[in-house]
Amino acid sequence: MQASINVTPLVDVVLVLLIIFMVMAPQMRKGPDVRLPKTEKPSQQGDERGRILVSIDEAGGLWVNDKKVAAEQFGDALRAAVAAESSPKVVIRGDAKLNFRQVREAMQAVEQAGFRGVGLIAKGRNAEARGE
Amino acid sequence: MDFNRGDSGSNLQSEINITPLVDVVLVLLIIFMVVVPLLMQGYDVDIPKTSSNAKPAQAEESRLILIISPATCGILKPPAGEGLPTDCRVTLGDQKIAATELPARVAEILGSRPAEKRVLFLAADDRLNYEGVLRILDLAKSGVEDLKVEFITSY
Repeated sequence: MQASINVTPLVDVVLVLLIIFMVMAPQMRKGPDVRLPKTEKPSQQGDERGRILVSIDEAGGLWVNDKKVAAEQFGDALRAAVAAESSPKVVIRGDAKLNFRQVREAMQAVEQAGFRGVGLIAKGRNAEARGE
Repeated sequence: MDFNRGDSGSNLQSEINITPLVDVVLVLLIIFMVVVPLLMQGYDVDIPKTSSNAKPAQAEESRLILIISPATCGILKPPAGEGLPTDCRVTLGDQKIAATELPARVAEILGSRPAEKRVLFLAADDRLNYEGVLRILDLAKSGVEDLKVEFITSY
């Protein structure tokens, strides 16, 4: 009788799970594909809890979390998203090709929804080196 | 799974103790769950209140204003490659300086102030490219620790 359990299938399953996570992690982001501006050293943006993601795609379309919203409904969508969070923070993922005007208008809409600060998301050089 | 029946005297345990393995796997899972949301990086900025009764954060004369205009720094399209065009000049306070001097000049002016008064007011032209503006913001922030940035949206 063989007293030791064969752990090979278990290790297989665990490694496959790990690989699935590693592949899925970058795609778990909410919102549209945005080519983030590349900068030298952006700072960390805290954790995901309470974060409201505002994305501005290449064409200037506005997204709140994973839903595209029309510009005139942006404020309402933002307030609806805020109501669902206890300590909300707004971050803006703007495409690198945008004009500053489009980002400024989004920031002003965010301000009108009652926020003073936003985070502007960029891609640091280190993140790029990691292939994200 | 009673493998040791018939030999009740010796407590021979034939099953592997998988508890440490499960521990390690769960810790890995938790590390992933914690790290993935942290991967987002960016810049915290303030937007001024548009309502007229809001008090300014600082007395008018001690404000440091950084103006980026397309006349002196023509980043109307995403800058090619790393960094900024070498001829990019910005207005800091009342002086025109090269963008590359920004970290040193901002540190010189704001470095001696207490942390809560280290505020840079940023006025960027609407026509400028967003990536270019963020790169200038990155330069300005790199000189001083805990620099607060406030965008001036109606200038």
